[in-house]
Amino acid sequence: MNIVRIKDIFVKDVTIELRQKYAVGGIALFAATVVFIMYKSFNNINPREWTILLWIIMLFAGLNAIVKSFLQEKKETYLYYFTLFDPLELIIARLFYNYLFMLLLFCVVVFFLSLFSGYPVKDSALFFGGSALGLFGISVIFTFVSVITASGQGNTTLMSVLALPLVLPSVLLLLKVTAVSVRLISDTAVTEDLWMLAGVDLLLSGVLMWLFPVLWKS
Amino acid sequence: MKGIWWKLAGAILFLYVLIGGITVPLKPGITEVSPSHGYTGTQVQLDITGYNTHFAAAGDNRAWLKLDSVLSIPHSAITADDDNRLKANFVLPQGFASGDQTAPLTLIIDNSMDGVFVQPNAFFLTRDTTSNNVNSGGWESDALKGFHHPSGLAFPYRSILNETIRNTFFHVALWFAMFLLLIAGVYHAIKYLRTKDIDHDTRSAGYTRVALLYGVLGLITGSVWARFTWDTFWTQDIKLNMTAIAMLIYLAYLLLRTSTEDVDKRARLSAAYSIFAFVALIPLVFVIPRLTDSLHPGNGGNPALGGEDLDNTLRLFFYPSIIALTLLGVWMASLLIRYERLRYKWTFKT
Repeated sequence: MNIVRIKDIFVKDVTIELRQKYAVGGIALFAATVVFIMYKSFNNINPREWTILLWIIMLFAGLNAIVKSFLQEKKETYLYYFTLFDPLELIIARLFYNYLFMLLLFCVVVFFLSLFSGYPVKDSALFFGGSALGLFGISVIFTFVSVITASGQGNTTLMSVLALPLVLPSVLLLLKVTAVSVRLISDTAVTEDLWMLAGVDLLLSGVLMWLFPVLWKS
Repeated sequence: MKGIWWKLAGAILFLYVLIGGITVPLKPGITEVSPSHGYTGTQVQLDITGYNTHFAAAGDNRAWLKLDSVLSIPHSAITADDDNRLKANFVLPQGFASGDQTAPLTLIIDNSMDGVFVQPNAFFLTRDTTSNNVNSGGWESDALKGFHHPSGLAFPYRSILNETIRNTFFHVALWFAMFLLLIAGVYHAIKYLRTKDIDHDTRSAGYTRVALLYGVLGLITGSVWARFTWDTFWTQDIKLNMTAIAMLIYLAYLLLRTSTEDVDKRARLSAAYSIFAFVALIPLVFVIPRLTDSLHPGNGGNPALGGEDLDNTLRLFFYPSIIALTLLGVWMASLLIRYERLRYKWTFKT
């Protein structure tokens, strides 16, 4: 394992993504459209709905975006990577790339939601910190499931069926943290939830790194 | 005969649990006391309704209202209408020493056939405006003695739970057996990734399938139990919903197994997924529910499997039930596994 190589793979992924401008633009536009539809159908979004909508949009937009992460390149390209990289380096780079993507998506969605229906968050540090922690866990699960679907038949229904129940614990914790940061509920033990999110992150990323080299061989 | 003994043991143990768990009676208990409150310095006649009691048959009923660990009031007169109904008269004292206006009293009943049994907070004694804040006459300090302790097997009587306490042998034991089977499934998944022996994949799938069946049965028995104790089949309760998610994760596992025809690929994917799912299950079932308040025992300060909820008579059936269900589960899994093996053999022959 080599940090420089991980960085190189990461930069390569980002460069490829930026080169195909429709991908990033598409996701941003998707987020904007969904937020606008929500805004028009709800008319007036109260803080409670705001937090729920935020995570529902994040869940589905993120799922859409990350499924592709192992499907977008050709089989031959993977064969080439296989000869070049250590699987561990590849998965770490890909995981960080996906994480960065989720963070960006999160910022875009929060921006549009705030634009249309206000920014109800009272404790921004908790809001962004907790979300960053939780999004990491979600990225790990989405990455894992995208590896599974890519090495299987590449079936997107299977992807959502596998991924959604797995992310639910993280999403429930995130909803709670967000609700606290919006002051919908007050909870002095919110740090416990943050630790829990961090624990889930560590546990799942450990398993991902352990399992990926096995799955990668196909 | 080789290899059959544990199947027999599982079946016999389960039969034992089934018969014993349903036929052993509950200990006597008090279901209703009326009136449930009274004033100091008055006389009161309590109509007591019992469950599984033998008031008339025993004849030597005694009753007390207990204030604290020392003081109590013995009955002044007592008559049994029938086996389940008792009228007990009490002369309530002039006052009691307490900062509160009202003191909760515990009703204790004893007779030679049922032994001693209690109902906490059965009667609330309210201070009269004229009475003093001292323990006046009428309270006795050494009245509680000479209790009967009849022998014989009986399950504890718990208000609300009542007869449904027997579900402990099925609902709770099913979850224990499910976890043991899941662990077996994950063990074989890891083994598969290590050895690439397809037989481990077959075993892993067999154990996981039976575990899923147990999970569904556990949800159903829990739901029925909830209907009789919480008055609803399903609640917003965190533990129930987390379990439902866990079931969804494992249903997705079954879907994943049908998604590809390639045997080796299927084995690799499902082994990886089942390990990942099992790890994801740990926070789901064990950690998150403990952070949130819940009706379910084992959460938010509710006791589970501890204290008086699992006494020695329950243990007599509860532990055998776990063993029996695990053995039966392994048996079912072995049938699934043998069927799969035959299919492989047949597929690769033709």
